Amino acid sequence: MHDMTLSDLEQIGDDVAVSEATFQMDEDAFRLFYDRTARPVWAYLSRMSGDARLADDLLQEAYYRFLRADVSHESDAHRRNYLFRIATNLVKDHRRRRSDTQTGVAADGEPVDPLDPQSADAANGAVRRLDLARSMARLKPRERDLLWLAYAQGSSHKEIAEALGLKTASIKLLLFRARRRLAGLLRGGER
Amino acid sequence: MIAECVREAEVLEAVAFRRWPEQCGDLAAHVSSCEICADVLEVARALHDDRDRLCREAQPPSAGMVWWRATIRARAEAARTASQPISILQGVAGACFVGAAAGLATVAWQSMHWMDRLGELAVHLESRRADIAAASTLAAGHGLPILVAVACGLVLAPLAIYLTLADD
Repeated sequence: MHDMTLSDLEQIGDDVAVSEATFQMDEDAFRLFYDRTARPVWAYLSRMSGDARLADDLLQEAYYRFLRADVSHESDAHRRNYLFRIATNLVKDHRRRRSDTQTGVAADGEPVDPLDPQSADAANGAVRRLDLARSMARLKPRERDLLWLAYAQGSSHKEIAEALGLKTASIKLLLFRARRRLAGLLRGGER
Repeated sequence: MIAECVREAEVLEAVAFRRWPEQCGDLAAHVSSCEICADVLEVARALHDDRDRLCREAQPPSAGMVWWRATIRARAEAARTASQPISILQGVAGACFVGAAAGLATVAWQSMHWMDRLGELAVHLESRRADIAAASTLAAGHGLPILVAVACGLVLAPLAIYLTLADD
């Protein structure tokens, strides 16, 4: 069997009973939802996977799975949490596939030359980004997920539990430990 | 043990709404003396700034592009699912054809010997010395091609189905 080309698909066209009806929302609703969520989801995928190019692929995959999922959402927040849950699972799958020798999160900042900064702010910002990337790389994957959702995304404990598949009651303790650890790393030492 | 501070939420809010540190005189004084809130501030600021930067730099494809790709992929998956039974039938038909061809080849090969045996049988009949042993030998000669054809089919059918589905 050969791979399908675009012309093959066009020939199949309307004969195949696949259309927008197979997705859980219509195109207009999807556009609105996508425009609101694409950048935060991409940021999450990028930081959690440590790879901006991979984040592009995972973003497409996340929305595809979201559209194909046969799930009814009671609110927009629930819909968004569900999307983050898909994104979290995609990153987990990626981590499993990746060899153990690679680090969790790459320091994706551009090279910084403190002697020749275009501006002090830009240099400081770049250094802070590198510090954060390195510190995040030393955390456990689940700690990274927790901290990002709580402090970058502003999610509640219930939303984090939904996104990560954890019990709501356990979030507070896990978050406390992860936060202490990251704060220590950012200050230059480990607690 | 979890250490908590009642002002954690205020710190988070100040960071989220970009009020820190200019509009947080009282809160800033508290944070300087509260280890918990200092941790919250450190982490929240770093992650919030990182998220803002990543969101600014993000260049996600347009919604229309993502929708279009999803539609194409859904169609391809549906087409693949729809074509799977056809592939199985093609596999079975292919195996049957190979089995039948093998059977015919065996029959053809056997028939050459059979013709010889017919001659021998005629000689036997003519001499009226044909017996039950000769008849059973003849039956065995006919049964072998059928057995070979069935065996070929049994071996090749699963192989053909596997090869057909392996493409998917």
